[in-house]
Amino acid sequence: MKLGRKFPLFVLLSILLFSTITQAQEVFRARLSPMPTTPQTVATILGEGEVILTLNGNSLSVEGNFEGMSSAATGAHVHNGPPAQPGPVIHTLEVTQTTGGSVLGELTLTEEQVEALHNNEFYIQIHSESNPPGELRGWVFLRSHFDN
Amino acid sequence: MYLNLIKMKRHLVLSGFLILGLSACGGETTAPEPVATSVPEVESALSFESQATVGADSYATNCASCHGANLEGTTLGPLLSGFSFVQRWGTQTPALLLGNIQSNMPPGGNENISDEDYLNIVAHILNINGVDSVSDALTASSDFEIADNISQIIAQRQRPEPPAPQGLTVTGNTEEFVEFVPLTQEMLRDPNPADWPMHRRNFYGHSYSPLDQINTENVKNLSLEWVWNMHEGDSEPAPLVYNGIIYLINPGNVIQALDAESGELIWEHWTGPANRQDMRNIAMYDDKIIQATTDARLVALDARTGEQVWETVVADNSKGFANSSGPIVADGKVIQGLAGCARYIPEDCYISAYDADNGELLWQFVTIAKMGEPGGDTWGGLDNIFRAGGETWITGSYDPDLNLTYWGTAQQKPWVPVSRHMTIFDVGLYTNATVAVDTESGELDWYFQHVPAEALDLDEVFERVLVNRGDEKFVYSIGKYGILWKNDRVTGEFRGFQETVFQNAFTNIDPDTGEVTYRQDIQNAQLNEWTSACPSSAGGKDWHSMTYHPPSGLIIAPLSQTCLENAAREVALVQGGGGLAASRKFFEMPGTNGNLGKVGAYHADTLEEVWSFQQRASLHTGTISTGGDLVFVGDLDRRFKAFDVNTGDVLWETRLGTSVQGHPVSFAVDGKQYIAVTAALGGTSPRTVPGVIATEITYPRWGNAIYVFSLPDE
Repeated sequence: MKLGRKFPLFVLLSILLFSTITQAQEVFRARLSPMPTTPQTVATILGEGEVILTLNGNSLSVEGNFEGMSSAATGAHVHNGPPAQPGPVIHTLEVTQTTGGSVLGELTLTEEQVEALHNNEFYIQIHSESNPPGELRGWVFLRSHFDN
Repeated sequence: MYLNLIKMKRHLVLSGFLILGLSACGGETTAPEPVATSVPEVESALSFESQATVGADSYATNCASCHGANLEGTTLGPLLSGFSFVQRWGTQTPALLLGNIQSNMPPGGNENISDEDYLNIVAHILNINGVDSVSDALTASSDFEIADNISQIIAQRQRPEPPAPQGLTVTGNTEEFVEFVPLTQEMLRDPNPADWPMHRRNFYGHSYSPLDQINTENVKNLSLEWVWNMHEGDSEPAPLVYNGIIYLINPGNVIQALDAESGELIWEHWTGPANRQDMRNIAMYDDKIIQATTDARLVALDARTGEQVWETVVADNSKGFANSSGPIVADGKVIQGLAGCARYIPEDCYISAYDADNGELLWQFVTIAKMGEPGGDTWGGLDNIFRAGGETWITGSYDPDLNLTYWGTAQQKPWVPVSRHMTIFDVGLYTNATVAVDTESGELDWYFQHVPAEALDLDEVFERVLVNRGDEKFVYSIGKYGILWKNDRVTGEFRGFQETVFQNAFTNIDPDTGEVTYRQDIQNAQLNEWTSACPSSAGGKDWHSMTYHPPSGLIIAPLSQTCLENAAREVALVQGGGGLAASRKFFEMPGTNGNLGKVGAYHADTLEEVWSFQQRASLHTGTISTGGDLVFVGDLDRRFKAFDVNTGDVLWETRLGTSVQGHPVSFAVDGKQYIAVTAALGGTSPRTVPGVIATEITYPRWGNAIYVFSLPDE
């Protein structure tokens, strides 16, 4: 009975809480494509992929897939750099050590890093055996940015 | 005599190589000056033949991917053999060829290529091109004339001149199809709606046809009327249509006249040289078709028969000067730009005007300010000979009321300030600017430098579109930075800008003056330092013309979204040197989802983007608009599309034989409207850059053609 009387309030609180969580959660996306290339290297810098990043408060979860690299992945990182400008590593991701697979990670961001994320100043980079400086790269934007 | 000199110089260089090698072993960083000592062991091992043999491998590793295994050229790079190579380099020396290649090739960087490798590659190229009377090894200072050592060339010189492989190859007369009416200045000023009588159709460069038979309702029924295969080669064709006749520029400087209704060939004229170099447009005036050739000549043909009427030299092709665009004819004057001005030689680039009746030179406007002239102090104190660039490789526009012709100029050369021994503050007038030149006198009326001291091979050379809004007269342009510039075309005053694609080269663009501020690392870039920036040298916009649609007030532009990493190379200040001198790598533009192609519509008043359409395939034609509220554009993936000019919705598309490239046109014959477009190869960096990014897009490496579409007869 008591539960019954309080049920509408529970539902209301749940909706409010869910709404708050939904509002706080933002989804970002990076398209992974080959690192800078030339006619001489175009056959050896290969692959593509997609990474989804979900921000809850200052917690950022990273989950993505890639395929078609020229050799097995050796590492993957989240970097801090404005669009099209390389920058430093801020977090190391787990990556499948094959030419195609997944990247995973959980980060806790500082306030400055949250702001950088919103300014499109994060990018994901995957390194490989034959391309130690990096083979795939993609800048992070709000997923809605790609809707148009 | 010269063999002795070569031997002496070879000793110098060989000693230098040895010293450098020992220095590396000893850990020294500075090589001492080479001394003239005899090194017989090495001397006996090296010869031109052995260099060429080793050079074949180096070429295969470093050059063949762009220039072809047999130097035959590919879509990524020009051919390095045969007539066009000998014409371009025959009068030059191996040292100059070496310097050019070493400064500029391969475009992605040369960290792993030694000086010796470069010499071997040059030997291989010369060997393939028939150099057969040289036995001693090449050195960095080999200064013999290349053609003097090709026995075939020598034999040709000793024989009487062979019949010119040029002229009329198909004879006919347009008057067998339609009565000829001379094309006057007044007719060019206000073209008949049925015609497309000049590049971009009118003096203002609107690329707009008022024809409205094909419209947003019925364009879905558009069907192929006829197709005509063109000569193979690189090409960015801009056909003309006048009084039911299509005048078509083909690769190899060949012009054809076709009956626009049936596609029947009427005449064909081979002006030459018969090469594969890109050419865009031709002009028509009175009873003449006027073409610029890739070797920097102007030739006038009788529009009825194709017979040559006059010919004049615009500039000396043996010094590197060339053309890739044709002229505009303004008030009876043939006004022509010039390209290939990157060498350190006394002559500079210019715009020049000629009498349309006989080709007589009327004036030249030099785009490089020399010492002691106005603007001459903007080149960092460099001697005049080292001031290079300022090409005018896209045809200008014309305002007959103001009597001004408007041209874009290319940037300084080499591409990066440090390579040209200058700083970011040495703006180099009148490069990378709009110049308004008096068509009567050739005097500069005003200039506006959009991106001074350009640093990334992103020039502002493309078409100037003239638009009247109320009582105001504007000139619009978009350069490789993808910035839509709006200037008062009476005074040159800056009136606004809009970024049409992402750019990160500038940290600020002053909204009041248009003054740009380069990013700090680009300002300070040193030799061999990589900087990363957007757009790439394929251009946010490139040579593909944009259109102005008067009924809607929209400017609709074909745009491109790629980025680059750029590193300056060293260029010595020596006469005959120069070049472009940068290593480049290319990548997708962040935030575009890998879409290289973008069609963007901007209102001429506000410059705001009204609509845009993005796709994976890069765009390879100009945009045109019509009175039927349509915009047409073609792409690398062989698709030719029609958009609703007001919404950007795709209303029709078809697929052609190869990449759709050139400048579409619309015309009418006997009251029936047609849309024509070319498929073509080549197209320079707007093709080579997507070629390394969107590698999944394939298309035949042949198939140049013009396709003509119409609505089915009811």
